[in-house]
Amino acid sequence: MRPILLKGHERSLNQIKYNRDGDLLFSVAKDKVLCVWFAANGERLGTYQGHQGAVWTLDVSPNTVLLATGSADNEVRLWNVKTGECVKVWDFPTAVKRVEFSPDGSRLLAVTEKRMGYLGTIVVFDICYGDGEGGDLNDQNDEPSLRITCEESKATVAGWGYLGQYIIAGHEDGSVSQYDAKEGEQLENVQAHEFDYQINDIQFSSDRTYFITASKDKTAKILSTRNLAILKSFPSDTPLNTAALTPKKDYVILGGGQAAMDVTTTSARQGKFEARFYHRIFEDEIGRVKGHFGPLNTIAVHPAGTGYASGGEDGYIRVHHFDKPYFDFMYEVEREQMRR
Amino acid sequence: MSKVANRTDWADEDPDELPAQQILTNKDGSKTFISYRFNDDGKKVKVARRIRTTVVKEHVNPEVAERRAWPKFGVEKGHPAGPSFDTTSVGENIIFRPSVNWKAQAKEAEKTGEKGGIKDQLKDKKVKCRICSGEHFTARCPFKDTMAPVDEATGAPGDAEDDDRPQAGALGGGGASYVPPHLRKGGAGAGERMGGKYERDDLATLRVTNVSELAEEQELRDLFERFGRVIRVFLARDRESQKAKGFAFISFADRGDAARACEKMDGFGYRHLILRVEFAKRTT
Repeated sequence: MRPILLKGHERSLNQIKYNRDGDLLFSVAKDKVLCVWFAANGERLGTYQGHQGAVWTLDVSPNTVLLATGSADNEVRLWNVKTGECVKVWDFPTAVKRVEFSPDGSRLLAVTEKRMGYLGTIVVFDICYGDGEGGDLNDQNDEPSLRITCEESKATVAGWGYLGQYIIAGHEDGSVSQYDAKEGEQLENVQAHEFDYQINDIQFSSDRTYFITASKDKTAKILSTRNLAILKSFPSDTPLNTAALTPKKDYVILGGGQAAMDVTTTSARQGKFEARFYHRIFEDEIGRVKGHFGPLNTIAVHPAGTGYASGGEDGYIRVHHFDKPYFDFMYEVEREQMRR
Repeated sequence: MSKVANRTDWADEDPDELPAQQILTNKDGSKTFISYRFNDDGKKVKVARRIRTTVVKEHVNPEVAERRAWPKFGVEKGHPAGPSFDTTSVGENIIFRPSVNWKAQAKEAEKTGEKGGIKDQLKDKKVKCRICSGEHFTARCPFKDTMAPVDEATGAPGDAEDDDRPQAGALGGGGASYVPPHLRKGGAGAGERMGGKYERDDLATLRVTNVSELAEEQELRDLFERFGRVIRVFLARDRESQKAKGFAFISFADRGDAARACEKMDGFGYRHLILRVEFAKRTT
């Protein structure tokens, strides 16, 4: 496979995401610029301007009408995907580290940082889509419909469970908790990763019944959304920044590498700046893809499972379209199953 | 009829005028376009192109198709469609083959990659004395002055190594360095040599060393003719000065004669130098 290199950011990538149809790829980095690309050929469709700080996170609504971003300038912004206009700004006392639309797109959660005397919170907004023609998008609620305060350990990442029933959050201390998405009570809390190793990423399966977490403790784990049972564990040899589940084939992709501050003191070979592919069921590592010059900060998989994109500390996005050997690979037992 | 009547004689045709393009429909549904043009030499060229049009239907999500037509915005505003070179480039091809024993394969690849290091190559080699085969340099050998170096001919361990080498290089034997075909096991002697019927029998060839610079081929021939029929005398000469280089080859017709000559002439004084005569080794 021949990757497409996207050079639209001056600084390291923070998050990339495909829209639900998989034709657009959104990216945010530390350099205040938001880009949207056509995933098929790497053409840049446009940029969204307005943020005054590093943009930590983004999400695109399921109908690809609204784009939400959270940034270090203490704002969550909503953008009109088509025109690049900012339609809404919510201000917070601290930086926003994560935003995500609920599966039906009617709600948006935002994870705020714990800093300057403020506790980390998860806030939820109800989102309106105007008249359905792209008009009146700036008619949004000013106040959140729900506010969850993380008293013990701040949340670093969060996402919606199946049907938007739960909010799942990963914490700085390596634990994962499950909240009721209506009332905001904490239902479960599991120390999924080693204590005090931050969870850096959380990504859900397409039906949101399970999710994968990537942690600084060098492992990625698959947990069930319903009861937070640890289903699978994928150990690696480097701190992980991101983990993704691939539809169509039962793989997971992990990305990580030496922490950015240690990079200058280690060689590229030791840096382990590769995307690692594991088999989701057998938990074996099945291959690696090289390319980045720095740690991988974020990985997004095409919703149809035909490719993936990775964003690195080096400021590049590499868009890969899988070729035949990827789809052909099967374990002997899988092949036997097929023959029957 | 009118066509025939209108047709002009080819001699009357305007040489600068090109006939109009013709389009013919073939039986299989394809079309043939016949056009004329002038090539670089100013000659008229007929170009026939056969084109078959097929309709490929692709189902695209209408929303996706609509988004493809969206005008660009932000920094990209007003830019034409298609990827721009300053933001989008194509990387090197990556061969990604998932495999169960991926780790073992990667390790192996790494190992072969490290072969380049001379240090690694010599890692398991030991110093061996050529005199007593001890683990020290030849120059440091305690028997240096009392014993002659172990020669290859006397069946030194070095010989065994030589025998091993062609095996390692046998076709398909993975990893080892290149071995020319004639050195591979079973390949020896199989290849035809050049020279055909004039090929010398190396078994009856003597190598004479310590020959004087002033030696002459005829003199050597006379010296060795005494033992039997000499087929060939070769005296190596310097290309420029034409002086003898100090060695020669004498080929006898009969090996018995050669053996006798070797025995008798070894140590023979010739032009103030003592000749050394031995059987020539087969060149490989």
